[in-house]
Amino acid sequence: MLRFLIVRLAGALLVLALVAVIVFMLTRLAAGDPVALLLGDQASIADIAKVRAQYGLDQPLPAQFVLWLGQLLHGNLGQSLFLQQPVTQALLDRAEPTLLLAFFAVAIAALIGIPAGMAAAIWRGSAADQVFSSLAMLGASVPSFWLGLTLIQVFAVKLGWFPSSGYGDPTASFGERLQHLLLPAIVLGLVNSALIIRFTRAAMLDILGEDYVRTARAKGLAEGTVMFKHVLRNSLVPIVTVLGLTMAVMIGGTVVTETVFNLPGVGNLVVRAVLRRDYPVIQGALLVIAAIYVFINFSIDIIYTLVDPRIRLETSA
Amino acid sequence: MQSFQPDHRSSPPGRADADAGTGLDAVTLTRRQWLGAAAAAPLCALPGAAWAQAAPAGAGRRGGAANIAVVAEPPGLDPMISTADLVGTIMQHVYEPLYTVDAHWNIAPMLARDMPTITEGGKVYTITLRKGVKLHNGRELNTDDVVASLQRWLDIAPRGKAVKQEITDLAALDASTIRITLKEPYAPLLSQLAATSGMAAIMAKESLAPQITQFIGTGPYKFKERRPDQFVVLVRFDDYSSRTEAASGYAGRREALLDELRFVPVPSPNTRVEGALSGQFHFSDQLSLEAISRLEESGSVAVPVMIKDFGFPYIVLNNKEGVLASQAMRRAVQTAVGDSDLMDAGFGDKRFYSVGANFFPEGTPFYSMAGADLYDNNNPKAGKEMAAKAGYDGRPIRILASRQYSFHYNMALVFNEQLKKAGFKTDLQVVDWATLIQRRTDPKLWDIFISHSNIQPEPMLSPPQFSAGAPGWWESDTKKKVLGQFNSATDQAQRGALFSSVQKLVYDEVPFLRIGNFNSLAARSTKLQGLTPMNWPFFWNTSLSA
Repeated sequence: MLRFLIVRLAGALLVLALVAVIVFMLTRLAAGDPVALLLGDQASIADIAKVRAQYGLDQPLPAQFVLWLGQLLHGNLGQSLFLQQPVTQALLDRAEPTLLLAFFAVAIAALIGIPAGMAAAIWRGSAADQVFSSLAMLGASVPSFWLGLTLIQVFAVKLGWFPSSGYGDPTASFGERLQHLLLPAIVLGLVNSALIIRFTRAAMLDILGEDYVRTARAKGLAEGTVMFKHVLRNSLVPIVTVLGLTMAVMIGGTVVTETVFNLPGVGNLVVRAVLRRDYPVIQGALLVIAAIYVFINFSIDIIYTLVDPRIRLETSA
Repeated sequence: MQSFQPDHRSSPPGRADADAGTGLDAVTLTRRQWLGAAAAAPLCALPGAAWAQAAPAGAGRRGGAANIAVVAEPPGLDPMISTADLVGTIMQHVYEPLYTVDAHWNIAPMLARDMPTITEGGKVYTITLRKGVKLHNGRELNTDDVVASLQRWLDIAPRGKAVKQEITDLAALDASTIRITLKEPYAPLLSQLAATSGMAAIMAKESLAPQITQFIGTGPYKFKERRPDQFVVLVRFDDYSSRTEAASGYAGRREALLDELRFVPVPSPNTRVEGALSGQFHFSDQLSLEAISRLEESGSVAVPVMIKDFGFPYIVLNNKEGVLASQAMRRAVQTAVGDSDLMDAGFGDKRFYSVGANFFPEGTPFYSMAGADLYDNNNPKAGKEMAAKAGYDGRPIRILASRQYSFHYNMALVFNEQLKKAGFKTDLQVVDWATLIQRRTDPKLWDIFISHSNIQPEPMLSPPQFSAGAPGWWESDTKKKVLGQFNSATDQAQRGALFSSVQKLVYDEVPFLRIGNFNSLAARSTKLQGLTPMNWPFFWNTSLSA
């Protein structure tokens, strides 16, 4: 077991090291100069060169990489060129809206997707199935920016029920900030519910064909009991897996929705950092996102070994 | 905007400008006041147009917080170091310069008591400060603060460093008077001291540092908090020492009626429009032109604000290396180009742009039509002949353009076709803005790039190509001579006349093609009262109705 953990841990660290190298190379190979953007158009070429030197951007790339690596090993992701704050702080500031948004959106996706998927499976081939399957297709096809703008026009501009964008003014309470997240969460929830509908339907159909379902029905259980106690319960494993994956994707992948709703989230931070070539932020954010994925995978590997000893044995063999 | 963000700092008015996040802002002076009723009339006469120009003014109600949607997160808050217009727009509420610009594009005193005494043939400027001006830390402003601030500006600010080359001495004569001594007469000095972007901001001496962490100025608002990508918050400075003259442009009386100003970075133009229509933002800067019909229809919540002659697109030619290094080739390109077609491609609706050979609007000190015969020729045949005479060898002309500003891209497409029609080979390279501003610093990488700038009240402030060393590398003996004469004339009327020769020189030597002027569209909440539409929008003297 210990050897298994060490091997997995070494693999995880290797992945992170590769990510660090690749992210560094990609950001530096892309054309563009953060200092020219920082100083504005009136800055002379000499001014730009001077400030580049102050930030160490005139050093050879290997030297810059070693410097960054040294900071990383001390737990320091560096200082943003634009935000006048440490990258760690910038990420922490944006973690709250992103995590809350992901949580809300997944909850909405589940509340829509699971009942609709169940109905589609139970009445397979019926009109209900057709309707829900079509809705799933539609949900997967609708561009989230269009849906977002439409919801803003209806619920924020016309009806005035929600704020149109942002994450609350400087004095906003937690409740007010949550209110700012509702419309974007609905957008992401609707779009992602399509996947949940399809997975739920497929998983339920698989289970409906199992012998124990036929047995349950044969012994005279009520249909509702069969569906909820035997079918849904056994279908939940793949559904929960998909919900978890959806949540993970949202942590770094809600850029479009964050942009439309002007939410100061992680996705927005990364995109803006790329546009202004804020190297430390791009590198730090991508590394942290990669680390989260690696950590989740590492944890799952460990949980698998606890649940199913064969995995451990096969690896050791 | 000077080109800000190009030239940038701001994303100008594009047609559906979906800018992205870097843009920083921009601005310059525009005041319709001097545009004259004739120019404004067609706009106001639009059917159903609720043009909100100078909104209802008067003694407004005190109190309230205004949410102001700006185009991007400012790249810092030090208005000396960054020439980004957005930084100037925000920090002009916190810091003030010695001089500023009034509604008629004239220089007017701000922290200075009055206009300077100019002696020794234009080489010595003696400036007296207003008495009793309070800094945000409660102390009274003195000449030590002014000299230290100006020295920092001369040492580290892009604009200041250019001015430093003209200066031999900067000194405090007593507690209320300073003296600036120049090597030679340098007429743009006061305009440089009055600029909002790259501002010669007067700061408390004790707050000065290579990187400013305490923003202590004399403005009507104090810095309170910055949360990156969320807001910059300024609050009213209760001990503000206002001038007493009537407000005019940026000059004159300033009164902080609003308790709080919140500058919210909203890079998506669509989101800025929706925020205006929903009432969330009291002012939304630089909207895409398509938004106008929705704003006109919304009526009760928000109204459109047109900022006339906000900026100008211009096309810079590489004078130093490559196929356009010869003046004859640049003239061939100039002859082939149709400027009005380019403006139409960039802005579409004539309400949003104007064409003309004049660099400055009619009615302003530098208005001139010199060189008009070389503007908007749109003559591919003549262009082709001129290129052949100039020995054009068929090398492709490399054109750099960005999609960050949709009008840059739209103009680039038409410009590319115009050149091809005249027999030029072209290589249109569409890159992101960060890449463009990096590549343009290397003369080997390009022949032409497309940018834009704010219209400044002083020719020498924009575009940067009037100075030495700016991308394009326009250097010639004639330039030195003509600009030398222009910059050594300290009399404003004389300078106005001399500018004709500067403008003519640009048409003759073609360091850049100035295509036309564009307007900017913003939105104002109907609750926001007293707003004067300006290139660098300001919110003193504005209030929120109940």
